Amino acid sequence: MIAQEQKPIEEILGYLDGKRKIVAVGCGGCATFYHTGDKKAVKEMAERLRKEGKEVTEVILPLGVSACEIDMSSKFLEKNRKAIEDADAVLVMSCGDGVQVVCEYIDNKIGVTKPVVPANDALGLVGGGPTKFKETCQSCGQCELGKTAGICPLTSCGKGLMNGPCGGVREDGKCEVDPEKDCAWVKIYERMEKMGELDKFTEMRAPHAWSKAKRPRLFTIEEPVKPVRTILASLPSYLTLLGGPEYEMLMLF
Amino acid sequence: MAEEVYSDLMREIKSGRFVWTGELEPAKDIGEAIEAARELKGLVTACNVTDNPQSFAAINSLAAAYKIQQETGMECIYQLRCADRNRLALCSDVMAAGILGLKNILALTGDYVSLGDTPRAKPVYDLDSTTLTRMIHTLVHEGKDISGTEIPNPPKLHVGAAAGPGVDPLEPELYKMKRKALAGAEFFQTQVVYLPEVLDRFFKGVKELNIETPILVGIFPAKSYGAAKFFDEYVTGVDVPPDFLKELEATKQIKDKEKRKEEVDRVNIEYFTGFLEHLKDTPAVGCHIMAVGYPRIIPELKKVME
Repeated sequence: MIAQEQKPIEEILGYLDGKRKIVAVGCGGCATFYHTGDKKAVKEMAERLRKEGKEVTEVILPLGVSACEIDMSSKFLEKNRKAIEDADAVLVMSCGDGVQVVCEYIDNKIGVTKPVVPANDALGLVGGGPTKFKETCQSCGQCELGKTAGICPLTSCGKGLMNGPCGGVREDGKCEVDPEKDCAWVKIYERMEKMGELDKFTEMRAPHAWSKAKRPRLFTIEEPVKPVRTILASLPSYLTLLGGPEYEMLMLF
Repeated sequence: MAEEVYSDLMREIKSGRFVWTGELEPAKDIGEAIEAARELKGLVTACNVTDNPQSFAAINSLAAAYKIQQETGMECIYQLRCADRNRLALCSDVMAAGILGLKNILALTGDYVSLGDTPRAKPVYDLDSTTLTRMIHTLVHEGKDISGTEIPNPPKLHVGAAAGPGVDPLEPELYKMKRKALAGAEFFQTQVVYLPEVLDRFFKGVKELNIETPILVGIFPAKSYGAAKFFDEYVTGVDVPPDFLKELEATKQIKDKEKRKEEVDRVNIEYFTGFLEHLKDTPAVGCHIMAVGYPRIIPELKKVME
């Protein structure tokens, strides 16, 4: 998931300065998990903007409908086509992907060019939960985890070294860059030692190939996923987990 | 490893004599470093020329090492860190070092940029100290650059690497040393060590991992209490003995400048005599003296190892 937090309201108001009619678009994907684009967040934002004298149209995307998945989110944008055409600005409460996908749709499909501004700051691809999350992957395009005991040093090492630890590792195995964080290479060492694979630790890993991280990356798949059908098809799998937190998740659908 | 000897440093290491190296910091002006190099001439075999130490922007170490070597005849160990340059820049700098007549390079990862005076800089770390070591080794011994392209006149120089005897946990550090040795490191210079027990633990590990690369142990005779205190507080993996610190602190009370200097020297000589006696029982091939601006202490230390 893409972690995110809402920008300071002053910054958002700055982008919307002089603009009266606002369309606030939420996100039913990651932004819902981080309370930055769910129904409550959109309503609170709308209220705040109304206090500033703005006229706000709320576009709430339900759980499962991410702003960035335009095939689904466009249905909600189309429903509000008139409001968007009349708007002075569109505020998108998602990560930067959502903001730009919505912007492009409005440009090309709705056919109007509007200021589209972000409400959130995206903070990286993270895993974990339900309350604590950690960035462990940076989508570099050439996964190295097979060489590094399942811990990505490009992301988890403060310096992104393929052959660490560096000389700055702190006394308790913490990172030179941030003493709150573990040295990824001490962790890699510990895992390799437990697995009896220290010979792999002394092997030199070649410099990472950044060629697949050439930006912007474009991607095509042969067959598009049909979201509603996918959710329905996955129901039996959820049923096997009845009783746990997954049951609650099922209920969300 | 390579049999050919390109530098005085490597010649001394291979001679079996105890080797001394010093350290020069070009900082924002080269003048002091050149002066220091003149003072160190004859006292040490070669001097490291630091590369943006602690991530403070300093005069480029390649240019500084060249100029110091040209003007003073002091052989330089050109320090090169991965923090500020990508693999292309590192490769071109090493090839440049070759044509400028530099004979030794120390391949370093480099302190993180946030430690210095430019914390908003984008850190690079495209290579790390191991891959940089291998890149230099490949340039010198295979005549190929980072992309595998043959180069007509490969640089003739030796590549060294750093090690941290006081790092805790030590094991990953030792295995990394082994990795650097396998990558082509021809000598190691260590972070500063004060405690004999740190030396023992370190060399025990070095032996267990069959690391046979020559090791120069870093020492830091402190010109003042403040200098020693800085190491103790801010340099990871370096513990300065409290008694040594206390004795240095006491010298601050001495009003007469000359007498104070004499007392500081006495404290250092006493401490390091014991330390160097202990070092004789280890496989260390030499000492890397990081005491910038304190050359007068070196002859006294050298007497211990004679």
